[in-house]
Amino acid sequence: MLKGHLDMIVLAALAAGPAHGYAVIERIRHKSGEAFDLPEGTIYPALHRLEQAGLLSSRWVTAESGRRRRVYALTRAGERALAERRAVWQQFSDAIGGLLQGARPRRRPA
Amino acid sequence: MIRDYLDALATALSFDPSLSRRVRREVEDHLLDAIAADAACDQREAERQAVARFGEPHAIAAEFARVSVARQARSLAAAIVVMIFVVFLAMKARVAWYAATQWTMAADMRPAGEIVLLIDRYAFWTSVILAVAGFAYMVARRIPPALHRARDRHLRQVSLLCTIAAAALVVSVISDGLLTAFWLRDAPLRAESLVPIFSMALEVACVGALAWQIRTITRRAACARALENRCSF
Repeated sequence: MLKGHLDMIVLAALAAGPAHGYAVIERIRHKSGEAFDLPEGTIYPALHRLEQAGLLSSRWVTAESGRRRRVYALTRAGERALAERRAVWQQFSDAIGGLLQGARPRRRPA
Repeated sequence: MIRDYLDALATALSFDPSLSRRVRREVEDHLLDAIAADAACDQREAERQAVARFGEPHAIAAEFARVSVARQARSLAAAIVVMIFVVFLAMKARVAWYAATQWTMAADMRPAGEIVLLIDRYAFWTSVILAVAGFAYMVARRIPPALHRARDRHLRQVSLLCTIAAAALVVSVISDGLLTAFWLRDAPLRAESLVPIFSMALEVACVGALAWQIRTITRRAACARALENRCSF
């Protein structure tokens, strides 16, 4: 289930600002309250895929340690895509919430 | 351990050298961060855990292979439109040159020339229609990146359209080559002959570049399938 929402999760993690792959994973872990502990390698193909779709941009930067790292940022199209997915998710979440609140536990036969 | 892991990942992606280099550098940076963050373990255990958390290299390479094939398909769809335009310019330049220099085809070659010209026209316009359709289909139909199957099917359809367009363009360029040979048959080799020869060389270079791109995309798609099959077992 999580895999189907991976792109939205990555876009949401980058909404806070540009970040490299490891920082994206840390943000996801932290913001989800450690609930989403994804296999770390799955994030990088998603980052490349989203970049190819024009939703992210990336560039090499030199970190303080002197290491070169690839930093990803949301593009305008990425911000729009995230806003759309947020709205769809909210609608879905409200609908499921309404259904679950209205559901009554089935009465057991005596 | 880290080096072995990176080598395995880079080797699995060796069908796309630039992607392989980029992924290797990114993953190396990631693993070094993960090891540095794991202060509780000794170095060897931290490396083992970082690699285990990252995942099986061939499964990750299979995901990257999809990205590589998609990029190649997009580039093929754009390249074929550009190449057709270049071939069109070369054809027009050659015809204009024949008119400007009042060059005429030998009378005995004209009947064959007319048939070849007909084939040339049909093949060229077939390639134009298919290439434009492939490019428009590529651009117009936006599929969310996460929908792997729909995206793969879409890319296969675009690649097929582009490959048929390229085949039609090859027929057109062969016809152009024959027509040029008809025009040049009885003409002595002189400076004026260089324009048709050069324009033909340009057309051949264009279809050669397209053939190379199609070969690359076919190879990458085969590698992607092999990686997926390996991971599904």
